[in-house]
Amino acid sequence: MGMSAGGGGGGLNNEINVTPMIDVLLVLLVIFMIIVPMSRKAIDTQLPDPNPQPAQPNVAPDQIVLEITADGNFAINKEPVDKAQLFNRLKSIYDPRPEKIIFVKGDTMTTYANVVWAMDQARGAGVKVIGVAPK
Amino acid sequence: MGMSAGGGSGVKADPNVTPMIDVMLVLLIIFMITIPQINAGFTAVPPEGQNLKPHPEEDGDQVLGIDDQGQYYLNKKPIRNEDLEAAVREIYGVEGRDDYIMYVKAHKDLQYLKVINAMDVLSRGGVRVAALITEQAPGTESLVESDRIRPGGK
Repeated sequence: MGMSAGGGGGGLNNEINVTPMIDVLLVLLVIFMIIVPMSRKAIDTQLPDPNPQPAQPNVAPDQIVLEITADGNFAINKEPVDKAQLFNRLKSIYDPRPEKIIFVKGDTMTTYANVVWAMDQARGAGVKVIGVAPK
Repeated sequence: MGMSAGGGSGVKADPNVTPMIDVMLVLLIIFMITIPQINAGFTAVPPEGQNLKPHPEEDGDQVLGIDDQGQYYLNKKPIRNEDLEAAVREIYGVEGRDDYIMYVKAHKDLQYLKVINAMDVLSRGGVRVAALITEQAPGTESLVESDRIRPGGK
């Protein structure tokens, strides 16, 4: 595809001007490079104390423990809660409560997605601190 | 870009696409090289959620990956289960470290046992906060007010 311009047409330039296209592509590339790391999201959880004190006399008696059973059901302080009702139940617990702490105790046989789903619901219901209960 | 050439019987009007093809090929190669490096052999599909906290990536973030086989990856490099605690302690055990957060990117269908085992190791290695990386479910927005502030726009 050479430029075998016959004669005439001295200043005639029939190449596509690719410079604007390169500009646009580079800008798109840069935008994607910035957006991809920005979009990372996570749920913060507090890990259990690696050196648990043997006896904790002043353990808060009113702490909320959300359990996820092996078959994917949920229980708040041992009281079973329907999956569809979990969010409303958590909201009614945490709306009047000043301390927004929950402990999430997943059964070892359940799937990770179930546990994350429960944590997600808890955050939506206003929980600020999610503690992971030790095994 | 009108081609209003007056005479010029032999003037070819073909666009010269060679530079464009060059650019496209270079971009293709760049993407082919960078995408595997972004994933780096580790393919965990994180679970989806709605009420998530934005955590823009920063230099120095420590990421623990757990793939669908339960294999651990520390900052995208495979690591044996028994070496993880020492490696984590090396990172978090240093004096004067100002954050004790570790990102955990685990596969969604993993047994929770694998994840809690990993968290156990992390806590013994000095990590205090595990940020469980989760994808925003499409079409949802967090119900928590503070999550909706755009990163960088604070």
